[in-house]
Amino acid sequence: MALLEIKNLHASVAGKEILKGVTLALEPGEVHAIMGPNGTGKSTLSNVIAGREGYEVTKGQVLLDGEDVLAMAADERARAGIFLAFQYPVEIPGVTTSAFLKTALNAKRRAAGEKEIDAMEFMKLVKKKTEALGMPYDMIKRALNVGFSGGEKKRAEVLQMTMLEPRVAILDETDSGLDIDALRVVSDGVNSLRAPDRAFLVITHYQRLLDYIVPDHVHVLANGRIAASGGKELALELEAEGYAKYLNAAA
Amino acid sequence: MKPSLITDHPFGEAYAKHLGVAPWRGDLPGPKVEEWRFTPLRSLAKIAFAPASEDVDVDAIPRNVPRIPGAVRLVLVNGVYRQDLSGTGLGKGVEVFQGKVAAKQGSSLVALNAAYAPASLALHVTAAAKKVIHIISIGAAGSQPTAFHPRINVTAEPGSAITLVESHVGLPGETYFSNPVATIAVGEGASVRRYVSVDEDSEAFHLATSLVTVAGGGNYEAFHLGLGGALTRQEIRIALTGENANVRLNGAYALRGASHHDFTTVMDHAMPHCTSSQVFKGVVDGESHGVYQGRIHVARLAQKTDARQEHKALFLSRGPAIDCKPELEIYADDVQCAHGAATGEIDENHMFYLESRGIDPETARALLVEGFLADAVNEISVEAVRDQFVADIGNWLKRRGAQ
Amino acid sequence: MAANQETAAAVKNVEQYKYGFVTDIESDMAPKGLSEDIVRFISAKKGEPEWMLEWRLKAYRYWLTLADEEPTWAKLIYPKIDYQASYYYAAPKQKLASMDEVDPKLLETYKKLGIPLAEQAILAGVAVDAVFDSVSVATTYKKKLEEMGVIFKPISEAVHSHPELVKKYLGSVVPYTDNFYATLNCAVFTDGSFVYIPKGLRCPMELSTYFRINEKNTGQFERTLIVADEGSYVSYLEGCTAPQRDENQLHAAVVELIALDDAEIKYSTVQNWYPGDADGRGGIYNFVTKRGACRGKNSKIMWTQVETGSAITWKYPSCILQGDNSVGEFYSVAITNNRQQADTGTKMIHLGANTRSKIISKGISAGHADNTYRGLVRIGAKADKSRNYTQCDSLLIGDKCGAHTVPYIESRNPSAVTEHEATTSKISDDQLFYCLQRGMTQEEAVSLIVNGFCKEVLQTLPMEFAVEAQKLVSISLEGSVG
Repeated sequence: MALLEIKNLHASVAGKEILKGVTLALEPGEVHAIMGPNGTGKSTLSNVIAGREGYEVTKGQVLLDGEDVLAMAADERARAGIFLAFQYPVEIPGVTTSAFLKTALNAKRRAAGEKEIDAMEFMKLVKKKTEALGMPYDMIKRALNVGFSGGEKKRAEVLQMTMLEPRVAILDETDSGLDIDALRVVSDGVNSLRAPDRAFLVITHYQRLLDYIVPDHVHVLANGRIAASGGKELALELEAEGYAKYLNAAA
Repeated sequence: MKPSLITDHPFGEAYAKHLGVAPWRGDLPGPKVEEWRFTPLRSLAKIAFAPASEDVDVDAIPRNVPRIPGAVRLVLVNGVYRQDLSGTGLGKGVEVFQGKVAAKQGSSLVALNAAYAPASLALHVTAAAKKVIHIISIGAAGSQPTAFHPRINVTAEPGSAITLVESHVGLPGETYFSNPVATIAVGEGASVRRYVSVDEDSEAFHLATSLVTVAGGGNYEAFHLGLGGALTRQEIRIALTGENANVRLNGAYALRGASHHDFTTVMDHAMPHCTSSQVFKGVVDGESHGVYQGRIHVARLAQKTDARQEHKALFLSRGPAIDCKPELEIYADDVQCAHGAATGEIDENHMFYLESRGIDPETARALLVEGFLADAVNEISVEAVRDQFVADIGNWLKRRGAQ
Repeated sequence: MAANQETAAAVKNVEQYKYGFVTDIESDMAPKGLSEDIVRFISAKKGEPEWMLEWRLKAYRYWLTLADEEPTWAKLIYPKIDYQASYYYAAPKQKLASMDEVDPKLLETYKKLGIPLAEQAILAGVAVDAVFDSVSVATTYKKKLEEMGVIFKPISEAVHSHPELVKKYLGSVVPYTDNFYATLNCAVFTDGSFVYIPKGLRCPMELSTYFRINEKNTGQFERTLIVADEGSYVSYLEGCTAPQRDENQLHAAVVELIALDDAEIKYSTVQNWYPGDADGRGGIYNFVTKRGACRGKNSKIMWTQVETGSAITWKYPSCILQGDNSVGEFYSVAITNNRQQADTGTKMIHLGANTRSKIISKGISAGHADNTYRGLVRIGAKADKSRNYTQCDSLLIGDKCGAHTVPYIESRNPSAVTEHEATTSKISDDQLFYCLQRGMTQEEAVSLIVNGFCKEVLQTLPMEFAVEAQKLVSISLEGSVG
């Protein structure tokens, strides 16, 4: 059974259909990339999977280990193991990154019937993770994402991902606004999380990110559907030729 | 009798008898009325105001009234429309006539106006008006203290547009009290721009009320300038009654001597998806007193409101007073509302910087004051009017230099 | 000593006094209603000297003239209070026999707050025979404080032991003519705390943390007087984060603070009186007058309040900045949920030169509640180079509540600078979704975001208080989202 299965997914925003039948299956251990021009529904797909309000699923299914994801509330999906690395992480004034992380981590542990993490243990864990990501430990004392640079925000997303250890991680345009060094740090972080029981869905507009996070499968999303699928060489082809032929074909 | 009212005032039986109309039975607000806490009317109530005498002769518009390029002038003398002094050739899109004064209930001053206003100067806007309308209200008391009650009524039909300029000035003579009321209805998708300048005689009283409604998709842009008068209040109450209405209300005051000026605004967001912004700036000199009270009310229904308000005042000397009360009253949750207020004096570092470039202190100060007020004045979207108001402020500053 | 003679004379006066009504002094409860006799009864019950009684009577007679002056300007709606329907003196409440008799809902809240079991019992009004560790700790500290010259005792005792100090300062910041509720308090207050910190002493511990257990049960008309002599410092904590078992409807407390030259007083309150039920039945009416005078140069008074309880809150802890270079600060979190109403804020009256004030107010409104910030910043003509900074933020949770901001700024001095900023918004959908996506429940997310919103205020609280206050913020908002 696939880890994450998306079946004929249709979704609309404010009455306008954006996803028009997306079908996709992520096996454990796989990295899938979704590429496509702007405005074809890439972010809609990630928001629908994560359960953001304002998106109406009109048809289709999303299954995690065979469980109906669409029937769950957003926080239940997160606790079930779906992690969305946001394109634009929000700032939450007054809430330190560490308080935030601890709350999230304990929410997950409680749901799994595990013991809540104590302060010392938590600090040790954060220290280990930040070091591994080459992040200054002090960052977690700052208010969540407030005043963070674009690169810092994305690193903070990866830090959260490594702390929460999701089953399926969705990276929504994680490369946007990153310089090459930041891109390498973020990618290293993601690669270190690749594991036989975990899958990734990497959404990107550019092939560049896929030099660092090498996918097993590449899909082209155009006009709300998967217009083509292939191996990592498909990304290079798209880079060279653009999306025009998929848009035309789908139209 | 409630102690919060001034019952002993000159606008009762005797006043009505002069005019041959039914007397006003109301009272003036006293200092315990919250909206009037900063602006006492005791001194006004003690003056034996009478209605304007018919033998006061005004045969020309005072020269200090600015000429707005391309505008048609409509003149009121002591609240009475004077066709002989007014211009013609209104062009398409607007009709002017003398209308009835609705005896609508409102505040004390609106009721006082309704009781004694002779007729309204009514503007009916049916399309995009070609010309700017410049209303000039002249106070001329002659030999006795005089009160008058101008009434302006603007109805902008859906989709129409007009630009209005109002100048309130006075002629030398005894003291006078102008109590103007303007009712402005901005229809759906209509656009009204209104620029009011109050530069009354230094002994005069001016208590103006503007009652504005803005329907769905309507735009109302206003700027109010207060430069003179013994006691001036410009009360502006705006109700956004349809969705996607948009209001920009701005103002400035510059006071000296014993002048008292009060801006009181009420922005009433009744419907969703509306925006309003307010920028008010003031400078005070001498023994003057500047007041800003602004209330933003957002009704339960008015989700997605964006309402902002700012008041900043600058002291030019030791002696003046500033009172400020910005107020938010919010009953809808999905809104963005904010206000800011500040008082202070000219930054010494700024002064020093200009002086170190060879600018004399008086000029430097004038530049900085103009710059300070510019934030508000620059909100005027009609260039010719903006230039005129900037010039008026410049003149005010020159008068200061001459003192 | 003149003071001693005075005391002796006063005691004699009390002995001579004949009661004007049938209830004798041994009784536990005065008859219902308010009269001069009741005032005399309370005074006699406390064995007060004549001057104290005279002061109470002056206040009472003045209060009678205020019948039409009960404040109505606050944005609060409640039925008219019948002052003759209350009891103004009653012996301490009946104790419960065991924890089993305590409302389980109350106990659950205590548990969430992490209050030790022994303290829970006392808060809930359970009779306790054993002496708790904390109480004996308190006694130890009390002794130490005495050795340092700190006076910290019930005001009813201080009237006898330190009449010169009480006479000098009582009513000097909030005079008996101040306002309707304060005047009432002057006439009928039953007890409260008196604190005097001697010159140059930095009081080494937070007052009342260790004492909160013994100092409770002061009744509905509490009176607190704190004097910090030259160069001294004290941090005083009032109240308790746990909800109080109290069925009194009306609370009208008065707190006066006096800071002399170079002295500093930090006064922290966490108020969690019974707020009434979800439909607005019951709950405390909290009409409190709190004011501090920065009488000396370089003095400082800092108010921090976390207001989550009471059905009605009417409260404006203020600072009169008389001394040159004195500093007033006000940090406030006010949370209203269900049918609660709060009208709270501060007054900063700048009189001296170079005085500075700072106001940080965070209002959170949920349910059907209304929450108003009302504040005054007044800069006098002589307050050269004074500064005020005010930041008021309101948060609305749900579309049935209201949040209001009513600041008054009155400046008479050109060299003074005032700055006021206020915002009103709701928790953004983006913030909420972000938290949910990380697996938090809606309530956890709201609690986290609201605590972040309040952080600037909460971090001014002493550490152990701050932790409880954070939990209280979450508890107060329970049921507000969903």
